[in-house]
Amino acid sequence: MSELDPVIHAQARLRITSALATLDLGDSIAFPRLQELLDMTAGNLSTHLRKLEDAGYVDVAKTHQGRTPVTYLALSKRGRRAFEDYMDQLRSLLGGTA
Amino acid sequence: MQSGLRYKVPMISAPDDAPLDPAGMLELLERQQSDVHRRTAKLIPWILFAWGVTWLVGYGALWLVDGLGPAFSLPLGVAVAVFVGLMAVSVALSAVLGGLSGRGMKASKQSNFTGAVFGCTCSVAFLAIYVVGAQLSALGMPAEVANVYFPVMYTLIIGILYLVAGAIWRAVPSVVLGGLLAAVALAAGFSAYPTPYLVIAVAGGGVFLAGGLVIALWVRGRFEVPRR
Repeated sequence: MSELDPVIHAQARLRITSALATLDLGDSIAFPRLQELLDMTAGNLSTHLRKLEDAGYVDVAKTHQGRTPVTYLALSKRGRRAFEDYMDQLRSLLGGTA
Repeated sequence: MQSGLRYKVPMISAPDDAPLDPAGMLELLERQQSDVHRRTAKLIPWILFAWGVTWLVGYGALWLVDGLGPAFSLPLGVAVAVFVGLMAVSVALSAVLGGLSGRGMKASKQSNFTGAVFGCTCSVAFLAIYVVGAQLSALGMPAEVANVYFPVMYTLIIGILYLVAGAIWRAVPSVVLGGLLAAVALAAGFSAYPTPYLVIAVAGGGVFLAGGLVIALWVRGRFEVPRR
């Protein structure tokens, strides 16, 4: 049994990846809406998003709506694959079928 | 708008860098996804309630034109005005609440394509029913038959569109709603004017109201939906 992915295997980052995985492939969500859905502080969310971005699991796109800068976030293909592998590993560990 | 819906989902443990045991992490994962689905769906019941009232009162008004005759008859102009007015309100409300539900979300090109094709399909389907009905009327279809054809066909196509939407967006409630509306349409089609209007008002409106209630209870965390 390989080790659980340390990037995802932390409560805050698991919650973020789980939430992003509910979006369809390629769809993205604005930072404030994700923060609202997760009930996390902006600082805490930013910290964990940076770790996910550094691992290549989250795509970050900065854009503007009028004059307001907006950051959109999405799981990358790599991130989605890592999340699915993580989920399968957890189920295997718990005796289910992966 | 949301004040009547006491939104309450069990709180998820405070964010932490430390992991739980595997069972705890799997539970956290599943609870988080369920929580996101609930939060993004919290306005859906209001859309369904709006359509439930529109069908109940709107189709009910059309039934009252001849349904209680000769003792009582609602003037046709009043019935049509009630029906069209309520439809317009529900369309506007659906657009506003749908927009609020999707705020902060950006669809990919593929998702936009799917949405655009589905939207066009709805328009084409509604137009086709009207064109075929108008042609049948021109060929001599009696008014009594036209008054069965139009409400039944519109209800049937709305049911089918809910089924298709459920298949595209993997939404079981939409599939159930669509199947029930199609069944209501078929049942209504076996009766003579003006009964189809009454069947669609009560059963069709009832399907929307019941659907809204079930989703409202789910949003409030009263029950869980098994993972697909």
